[in-house]
Amino acid sequence: MLEVLENTAHVHLLLNHVPTIGFGIALLLFLAGLGAKSDVLKRTSLVMFFVVSVVAIATYVSGSAAEAVLVGTGRTDFPPGVSPAVIRAHEDAALLAFASMEVTGFFAWLALWQWRRVKTLPGWNLPIVLVLALVTFGLMARAAERGGRINHPELRADGLKQGDVIRSFNGQPVADADSLRALTAAAQPGSAASVGVIREGQPRTVTIAIVDPEGVMKRATRTSEAASLGVRMIEPLTQELAAQFGLKPGAEGLLVAQVYEQGAQGPAETGTTRAIGLWVTSVTWVWPTAETLHFVGLCMLFMVVVIVDLRMLGMIRSVPYSAVYQLLPIGMLGFGLNLITGMLFFIGVPAQYVKNIVFYWKMVFVVLGGLNLLYFMLMDQAWSVGPGEDAPFSAKVAAASAIFIWAAVLFCGHMLPFIGNSF
Amino acid sequence: MEFLRALETSGFSVWVRESGSLWSFPGILLVHTYGMGILVGLILAIDLSILGFVPALPLAPLRKFFPLIWTAFWLNAITGTMLLVADATTKLTNPDFGVKMVFIVLAVINQRMIQRRLFRGDGSPLPAGAKALAMMSIVCWLGAITAGRLLAYVGGVTK
Repeated sequence: MLEVLENTAHVHLLLNHVPTIGFGIALLLFLAGLGAKSDVLKRTSLVMFFVVSVVAIATYVSGSAAEAVLVGTGRTDFPPGVSPAVIRAHEDAALLAFASMEVTGFFAWLALWQWRRVKTLPGWNLPIVLVLALVTFGLMARAAERGGRINHPELRADGLKQGDVIRSFNGQPVADADSLRALTAAAQPGSAASVGVIREGQPRTVTIAIVDPEGVMKRATRTSEAASLGVRMIEPLTQELAAQFGLKPGAEGLLVAQVYEQGAQGPAETGTTRAIGLWVTSVTWVWPTAETLHFVGLCMLFMVVVIVDLRMLGMIRSVPYSAVYQLLPIGMLGFGLNLITGMLFFIGVPAQYVKNIVFYWKMVFVVLGGLNLLYFMLMDQAWSVGPGEDAPFSAKVAAASAIFIWAAVLFCGHMLPFIGNSF
Repeated sequence: MEFLRALETSGFSVWVRESGSLWSFPGILLVHTYGMGILVGLILAIDLSILGFVPALPLAPLRKFFPLIWTAFWLNAITGTMLLVADATTKLTNPDFGVKMVFIVLAVINQRMIQRRLFRGDGSPLPAGAKALAMMSIVCWLGAITAGRLLAYVGGVTK
């Protein structure tokens, strides 16, 4: 199983490139299509937006697996230079970019859906896609930049240690707690900062990630500057403290008096993503409500899968494909409901899923389901099936595959606790 | 209560609960979930069609799905009974289970009314009250799903 996990870290690094590069290309094509007023370019880019947003689901969850490898659950030793604070900063940025990308993908899909029905791309939808795509691209660049810090040693944060005496912040001398507070307040959360410290008698510079002091951690931190630096307590150095920490008498500066224990609390539990996770798992009715909605979404999705695909396989033959096609947005809403509730479960207890092989199968089938849907969206063989007509062979194959794929998605989801180790 | 305990300690119940086989509790619940997706999915399609959400889709041909709907219903009645027997003392004494049954009985009566009144096959327009039946159907099935899911959380909880 460990091998699977080690691989998922690499899988994440590989899958990363689909949303980042794929989305960039899609955006360029979309802009070119708008400029040249080319429907072919616009449609191609809409398809790409949709595909990228589907693959992004797998990319996002593989990120948590990569995190499990790097940070580990119950693991106390971090690989040299990997800092939980930097990973959390990337995770939060990635969640925002992911959410934005899914909304973009949904509207791109809706535009494609409309195009089939009315033979022209809807005018109201494209500006929405454009704005969403630009926002997503910015958020994604931000997430990618923060992700890059995790594996690029020159950008890597190594954090403060208990007993460090802070002398400077980003090159500015730190005289007392007030000056440090002013300097950290001016720094952007998530950005990297260099902190000059005296560690074990030697001056050195460490790189840290600035944490949002308004985040979850503040409750467990005495001061905002300590929260910003991702430690529990910073105190003016007194003679007494100097003696206690074995520092030279007469040393001056601010002492990092207490850091978080690695593991359950501290920096690893900060950030928006963890706050959402805490909400899901600690507020009584959130989990059961999300489960119930997950079932409702499942019924909406199955409605469309059963009706559209059985039509293709020969039931209700009097109904043309264009009529059952009108059901697709209901299925998409059901899928959206399940994506949101499913992500709540995942963010709530990621450890249950990232070590669960059935979960990865589920993600594979979800991506296949998205690709399968494209047949029913784009192919004339499907669209041209009129009232009373038998569907062509390719449509039957696609329909049978769709039934198999979505049955497999449900199977994998259901078997999470029984074959894997969830719950 | 003696009867429920006898049910719960029968060889079948113990196998469902404790065998650890994928064919027992996980498999039975899996079939129950597929049945739910097909049953409620198809009925919701009929309801949404009656309510006018899918204007392109004619209502009449959807009658071809009735056999599939009732197959899924009986499949779930059977698998549901199996799951119930396995946890008889907790599930049958749980008021939430009563709520679920009320929703299902109402939903089934409602579905039979929809089939009799709205699928006459003579092309007549939908009678007054058709939309009320459709909304009643949605409320009852969603209520049944909610009550069913909450069986794991309220009242006597086994696991």
